[in-house]
Amino acid sequence: MKDYSILRSLDLFKGLFTKMDIDYPAMRKILQVKLTLDSRRVSTVMQNNTNQKDKDKDKNNFLKSLTIYFIMGLVMVALVLFGNNYFYQMTLVFGMFMFFMMTTLISDYSSVLLDLRDKEILLSKPINSRTLNMAKVLHIIIYTSMITMAMIGPSLIVGGIENGILFFLIYLIEIILLNLFLIVLTGLMYLLILRFFDGEKLRDIINYVQIILTITISVGYQLIGRVFDIVDLESIVLIDKWWSFILPPIWFAAPFEFFINNNQSTSVIIYSLMAVIVPIASIMVYIKTMPIFESNLQKLSGVGGKAKNNEKLSNKVGNIICRTKEERTFYRFTTNMIRNEREFKLRVYPSLGFSIAFPLIMLFNSARGSTLAQVINTKAYFNIYFAAFFLPGVLQFIGNSGNYKGAWIYEVMPIKNYEPIFKGAIKSVFINLFAPIILVVSIIFLIIFKFTIIDQLIVVYFNLILGTFIVFKLFKKDLPFSRAFETIEKRNGFLEILLSTAGIGLLILLHYFSMRIKYGLYIYLVLQLILIGISLKYLFKVQPEA
Amino acid sequence: MTMESIISIKGLRKSYGTKEVLKGINIEVNRGEVIGYIGANGAGKSTTVKIMLGLVTDFEGEINILGQDIRSGDISYKSKIGYVPETAEIYENLTAKEYLTFIGELYGMDYTQVDEKAMKLMDLFGIGDVYNSRISSFSKGMKQKTLIISALINDPDILFLDEPLTGIDANSVMVFKEVLERLAKEGKTIFYSSHIMEVVEKLSSRIILLNDGQIVADGNIDELKNTSMASSLENIFNQLTGFNDHEDIAEKIVAVIKGVE
Repeated sequence: MKDYSILRSLDLFKGLFTKMDIDYPAMRKILQVKLTLDSRRVSTVMQNNTNQKDKDKDKNNFLKSLTIYFIMGLVMVALVLFGNNYFYQMTLVFGMFMFFMMTTLISDYSSVLLDLRDKEILLSKPINSRTLNMAKVLHIIIYTSMITMAMIGPSLIVGGIENGILFFLIYLIEIILLNLFLIVLTGLMYLLILRFFDGEKLRDIINYVQIILTITISVGYQLIGRVFDIVDLESIVLIDKWWSFILPPIWFAAPFEFFINNNQSTSVIIYSLMAVIVPIASIMVYIKTMPIFESNLQKLSGVGGKAKNNEKLSNKVGNIICRTKEERTFYRFTTNMIRNEREFKLRVYPSLGFSIAFPLIMLFNSARGSTLAQVINTKAYFNIYFAAFFLPGVLQFIGNSGNYKGAWIYEVMPIKNYEPIFKGAIKSVFINLFAPIILVVSIIFLIIFKFTIIDQLIVVYFNLILGTFIVFKLFKKDLPFSRAFETIEKRNGFLEILLSTAGIGLLILLHYFSMRIKYGLYIYLVLQLILIGISLKYLFKVQPEA
Repeated sequence: MTMESIISIKGLRKSYGTKEVLKGINIEVNRGEVIGYIGANGAGKSTTVKIMLGLVTDFEGEINILGQDIRSGDISYKSKIGYVPETAEIYENLTAKEYLTFIGELYGMDYTQVDEKAMKLMDLFGIGDVYNSRISSFSKGMKQKTLIISALINDPDILFLDEPLTGIDANSVMVFKEVLERLAKEGKTIFYSSHIMEVVEKLSSRIILLNDGQIVADGNIDELKNTSMASSLENIFNQLTGFNDHEDIAEKIVAVIKGVE
């Protein structure tokens, strides 16, 4: 194990810890182990960039993820330098920081707060709980300070040079207060969730926060440049709105207004006070409630309450669209896995999120400057293909699972024919993952286009089906949930991706050009139906590939 | 031989919410005893062990371990204890070497000393070649062996073993049983929880049977057999936990399997 430099600097305070009746060598050991474990874990922001090769090396994944926070930090530099409307600018900076810090704490550091192993492994050794708790607190502080430095460091330094030493000091003190507040807030949130729900529910909530974080980072990359076009900085007034009182970023922005711009209105003073008082008060509440937290933590290891067994709409649909019993079996199996596996959701749901977001973003982008009546007469509804274009790729995830080892059942079961497996799985993907997305996007488009494009949307949907078939045909055929997620990059090469992209592109072009001919769209529709029918008959009579 | 009390439990009660899990437990354990601590699922075995280890702190009653009140705030008694938890909790992203040296150091041992000892033990348990590999790549049995080594590394006076043989192959089980017997002869005290009655019967010098939070039997195997007129520990267990409809249930299960009403 590495001896981290942060630990060596901690050694300077050894005497202080010993005075607090803390077993310093033991605490140092625990921290060293925790930091080593961190460096071997993949954080949510890096989720999509790691592959199997790196897994065994003792590379610091955490340090790599810091670069992403650093890039966000550069955006904050722009915000800080933008003008002298500190109140608004700093609200944005703090808002951004709060969002990322909070979601990161929940998605990646929930394990620190919620680790039950610590108790079992460490407290059975001669270590007092004060030492363990101090190790945990320091661990979170080390972690948050590193992220904070990456994210805030650039704007702190540049802002300090440009806006003066007073700016630097306020910023520095506030960011420390804000961090403490966020750590405590996260803890209290867990406390609240665990008070009313069981551990499973909490894990679900953490899972969804991870998904939101992934979507935000990816969509953020696309949008960040445009933020400044969309928002008119000078015209926004945040002060004296009632809802400003419940938005922490505004409190933390207020001291800049007070000290630097000499704005001493009542609301600025109240906000400034809240920026100081609320964090301190929340820390006190947290210390008081800590024992309750510890006892509720036991719920995590417990078995959740009896889950309801409700027949969902999707199963009814499955019974209609699946012809044979075997197909229905694998439809249900795939549906259940899609719904329940958190790692699967974490990998797939972000793509689904983009598929809702991008068509809308692109539509509004292309429609800017024209009236709604003008838009209706254009072919701007083709933007919906930003959903239909990306969705087929999701299919490749269906062969993967965090629990891929469970796939031994395929070998043990008397399966002669693989067709119903592939068919059932692909139908389940359609009904459970694609249909809701397409439905949401379609409804929004229908409203915008005043229900003039129903026939177009049907063609789009059929194209999506055909696109997915193309992906199935070209990509390696894996049995559902039979491989580790890490193998996904190796399974399909550049050629397959290129060809499938070209294939889907061709489908979109066919749609586009079919409208040039009279009744062309309907001819194409019939053609689609024939192609789908043929595919269903022959495409799935295949064996899984090694 | 003088009887030296190693563990003394008096009037131990523990509730989770409104549910009372332990309803007044009294146990005196002497040096060198191997206690087979048995009971049905949910009888309160693990809770007792967790209380003794200080993992659960809110309980009623008095517990002295190695002459020390465990609630006095002095936790030095824990350095004389080895523990294999049932849940097999372990930091899997560490290598065996990193994990074992870490645990040893927490017990206050010197790094090079633990390292050497851990490596020798891994070798003897037949998993020396994976000493530098991550535990996450281990099989169930290898993980369990690592846990056992981590419980023995500090040469403890008391061993708490909760289902320690899970996933371990028959040859290694033989080695481990022999080790336990020898350790008991050396004067170590062993608290052994398991559902495998044959192993408990063979290993234990004394058996304590817990049912619904109370001790329903306490003695060596011959005493228990005499008083209950049963031929094996399994039968005693069934008798004292009031479970005698296993034939009936088995019959129904077979009927369901065959699909007859």
